[in-house]
Amino acid sequence: MRKLGLALALTLGVSLSGCVETRQYADVQFTPPEGDYKLLVLRPDVTVGALTTGGMIEPRADWTNQARSSIVAALQSQQAGRGGHVLIVQHRNELPGVPEQELADVERLTAAVDESIVLHKYLGDYLPTKRGRGLDWTVGDDAVQLGRKTGYDYALFLHAEDQVASTGRIVLGVLGAAGCIVGFCAPNIGGATQLDYASLVDLKTGEVVWFNVVRAGSEVPGIKFGDLRTPQGAEQMVERLLGRMKPGQDVRHQQGAR
Amino acid sequence: MCARCLELSRRSLLIGGGAAAASLTTGVAHARIRPQDMVPLVGPGYRPTEKDEQGLWKEMERAEEEIAGSNLLIQDPKLTGYLKDIIGTVGGPAAHDFRIYLARIPDFNAMMFPTGFAVVFTGLLLRMRNEAQLAGVIAHESGHFLRRHQIRSWRDMRRKTDLFAIGAMVAGVGGAAGGVYLGDYLQLAQLGTLLSLFKYSRDMEAEADAMGAKLIAQSGYAPIEMANIWEQLIGEEEASARYRRKHRRRGSLFDTHPSEGSRMVDLRADATELTIPGKAYDNRRARYLSMIGAIRPTLLDDQVKLNDPGASEYLIQTLAQDGWNGLLRFYEGEVWRLRNRHGDDLRAEQSYAAAVAYPDAPADAFRWHGISLMKEGRTAEAKAAFARYLVMKPDAPDAAWVRQMLG
Repeated sequence: MRKLGLALALTLGVSLSGCVETRQYADVQFTPPEGDYKLLVLRPDVTVGALTTGGMIEPRADWTNQARSSIVAALQSQQAGRGGHVLIVQHRNELPGVPEQELADVERLTAAVDESIVLHKYLGDYLPTKRGRGLDWTVGDDAVQLGRKTGYDYALFLHAEDQVASTGRIVLGVLGAAGCIVGFCAPNIGGATQLDYASLVDLKTGEVVWFNVVRAGSEVPGIKFGDLRTPQGAEQMVERLLGRMKPGQDVRHQQGAR
Repeated sequence: MCARCLELSRRSLLIGGGAAAASLTTGVAHARIRPQDMVPLVGPGYRPTEKDEQGLWKEMERAEEEIAGSNLLIQDPKLTGYLKDIIGTVGGPAAHDFRIYLARIPDFNAMMFPTGFAVVFTGLLLRMRNEAQLAGVIAHESGHFLRRHQIRSWRDMRRKTDLFAIGAMVAGVGGAAGGVYLGDYLQLAQLGTLLSLFKYSRDMEAEADAMGAKLIAQSGYAPIEMANIWEQLIGEEEASARYRRKHRRRGSLFDTHPSEGSRMVDLRADATELTIPGKAYDNRRARYLSMIGAIRPTLLDDQVKLNDPGASEYLIQTLAQDGWNGLLRFYEGEVWRLRNRHGDDLRAEQSYAAAVAYPDAPADAFRWHGISLMKEGRTAEAKAAFARYLVMKPDAPDAAWVRQMLG
């Protein structure tokens, strides 16, 4: 029941700041893939829910399906524009030559590595041993084997969660804003929040070479910043997340020296 | 309306306050839910039709995919088939919709997910003394699904947090407009909301207990076995706490489950209602033991390595109430050896010596028995024990060392 406590803490606590924020990290030797590369996109992990009046997140199956197909379409058009050969795996049994459980293992391992990156790169638990080393995480042999079996150069993992403020939540925010007139000002009760992250794994070395997080939130319910369910919102998210891949530190230094 | 009303309400207020105070200290105050009132709320092949439940199911599909592929699962078809068979018997109208997974976790637990798949921990198989007890736990979990507990809890939580949020906002705005500070009341309301959520969760557990008792009684198991499970668990926790010089945790208002004591008492009352006098109930102990026989050494091994000698010893003693054997004696020795307090080496030696006298003594019993004989200088007997160990386990990781001891 830890989840219950967490949900309540979220409900009764203060929400995220009202802005869109992205921050990416790359391996020091990373050069963004260009030209004729082969990219494998593993099943995008998407959830869209409604933010209830009380601030709980209610998952919605129809919205999630809608958002997933919008994101997949946006990804496809974006990568096609870059000249890469892309395969988006929607189900674990769709990758020829790789058994379902084997792919699941790589997915789970990468999810664990990604969580660790979020913890140590974004949430403040910085590791002194990794200071100044760019992005220094690896998925290891499993990823290399996946590359060898499939012939792909990179694997991309994508996680997206989005909450849409319910009518009740918006009304509550309006009431809070109206309260300002009588001296009880509470418009910032917390509205929609979106959290997306993606990691790029080099399937030749198994290393996580690039990682990016997009966090968007509004304190005032009703204010939107890209709805993942719509093609436009999904495109915007994919662009924010994957649009501008920066090269790693060493590569940038070399480019600067030239 | 009348004079007595005021008096009554004052009295009820006092009674209510008294009950609230009592529940603060014991955490168990609740009315028993009667098994006959528990009617399944879903039929066969149930699928959600409302948006919130569909969303929950969608999330759970993903969870099931992860759990079904977890490497913690025990895939032995005999055992998983056995569990499926039991849930197929005590699962009520949804019996054939359930999926059940066995996870190797040495802890007393089982859980039901909203879409109708259950996960049973191996620690449960260690603790159950017969099939009726196992069926009782599985029936309790089925009860959660049949009574639609997850979606009902979710809706309850959504409703109460909504109400609290609206109430807080109205109190804030209204208070400001009227020039009164209502913050203290809000804090009280917040605590009240929290407590009522936990209370709701405990009520759902009580429902599942009553539903479970009804289901196993209908399937021909003695309903009293469900109460016996709690008696065993309370004993185990007391033994574990005693060893650590602590007290067993009692229930509190912040618990998601009713206290073990109250569950036991309620289940006893349920059993009295459900038991048909003169009917011969079969707890199917023999079938249970033959089904879990192959995994029992692993179950015991996982348990004794938890470094909880109080609980391990109690568990072995409880299982031995149905008769000692070589396996139980050997693991009794392991509890002492791993505990390693003053005199435990002797206790362990006695257990190993007792274990090897049984026909089902595991190979390791001969190994440890041999080592203790060696220490006592009874070399010839020790060598015989080692020889036996090598015969039983020729590929043992320490076989070369043991051969060297044999000279």
